Amino acid sequence: MVEQVNSFAIKTKNVSVHYGNKMAIDDVTINFTKNDVTSLIGPSGCGKSTFLRCLNRMNDVIDSCKVQGEFLLNGVTDIYGDSIQVETLREKIGMVFQKPNPFPKSIFENVAYGPKIHGLASTQSELNDIVMDSLNRAGLYEEVKDRMDDIATGLSGGQQQRLCIARAIAIRPEIILMDEPCSALDPIATARIEELINELKENYTIIIVTHSMSQASRISQRTAFFHLGKLIEHGDTSKIFTKPDKEQTNDYITGRFG
Amino acid sequence: MENTHTDKNFEQKLKQLQDDLIKMSEIVEKQIEIAVNVIKTKDSQDAQLTQNLDEQVDVAERDVRDLSFEIMTLHRPVASDLRLVFTALKVSKELERMGDHSRNLAKRAISISSSFDDELIEQMYSLGRNVQSMVNQVLDSFFKKDELKAKTSWNQDAEIDKEYKSLLKNLIERMHNKETSVVDEGTKPILIAKSLERIGDHATNIAEEVIFNITGHYIDLKKSDFE
Repeated sequence: MVEQVNSFAIKTKNVSVHYGNKMAIDDVTINFTKNDVTSLIGPSGCGKSTFLRCLNRMNDVIDSCKVQGEFLLNGVTDIYGDSIQVETLREKIGMVFQKPNPFPKSIFENVAYGPKIHGLASTQSELNDIVMDSLNRAGLYEEVKDRMDDIATGLSGGQQQRLCIARAIAIRPEIILMDEPCSALDPIATARIEELINELKENYTIIIVTHSMSQASRISQRTAFFHLGKLIEHGDTSKIFTKPDKEQTNDYITGRFG
Repeated sequence: MENTHTDKNFEQKLKQLQDDLIKMSEIVEKQIEIAVNVIKTKDSQDAQLTQNLDEQVDVAERDVRDLSFEIMTLHRPVASDLRLVFTALKVSKELERMGDHSRNLAKRAISISSSFDDELIEQMYSLGRNVQSMVNQVLDSFFKKDELKAKTSWNQDAEIDKEYKSLLKNLIERMHNKETSVVDEGTKPILIAKSLERIGDHATNIAEEVIFNITGHYIDLKKSDFE
């Protein structure tokens, strides 16, 4: 199949990452198709989170971390090049973390903060609309509409995580990175987030690190299996979970690793 | 050697599933062997034995079904484990049908009179032996995960069909010629031959499941694959 250049939200080539002398990612090449959910799976220490954090330069703040290789946004913009500021990059590539991390501010301020600093709203009314729209898309608006001024840390874990997703989408990113977004949540809150991921993929490209194999199989169209810093296999989720090409992938997803 | 599961309980259940299938296969193979012998011996005790074994086959099929259901519910198998459970369910169904055919053909074989044409008996017996060999090959390919053997046994079905058609033609010709010994037996020899031919068909279905279990694909097998 011939892939169109612009069908990929992010293209990467020959990516290697070192922490000091220790190699964390070893020559990984992978492309992420637009409007797909891609799960990155693999045992702890396999490099999946390190790789995810390379995609919006979250590793920049770690002095010992050295990132090599090619990273292209929409097939053209060099993610590590001079043509894009890191702030602009993160406007396009948002992130949701393992532990919900709302600012110790009101629910409204949490979502309004990004659009304000990025100058996305010229009037208060526009800002209100962005906040409302983002909370709606994150499936949280109905639950919080009467207490927008309450402090966000008072919300339940699942609500806080959806607030973080609302905060991420408020700045209209193209891509959302998620690093184990449900690992601190109960099954009902997890199901709500998974449903939300499914809805969000209509408008965003989502790359998610997860330890839950069943979550990867439920929510993603593509799955990438990492082991010891290498990308072992990347393909359609339905294929990976029925007949993976590599023995190592089969062993890992069937629980024969060790 | 295949790596072992980190979940020992799951590992044990997958092993149990394979053991249950091996046990079921052994019963069905024995059933077919006895039924084929009954074509010649007309031994009513042996025919009754195929009936008794059929009850064991039904129990074995339920065991495979229940265990597969339990594994799917509690362990949510994926990849090679999922394919094994899926294949086990389908293979057990095919085996159960083979068992039914064996029981029926043995029952009919004892009711054929001893004056029935020897050449036709030989022809039925030979068909039976070839079917028996095909079943043995295909089950062996399943437990040894041998794709080539599965394909080879699948190919044996064409020979079996040919033999079945030749037998049928022979029977019909003799009926046309009003050969008393053949006409008196009515449709019984035809139904026996049909049961054998159907066992062969179930064996080809198993061969297709074996190939799926190994490769993850159902392939559209054609004779040309072997030419």
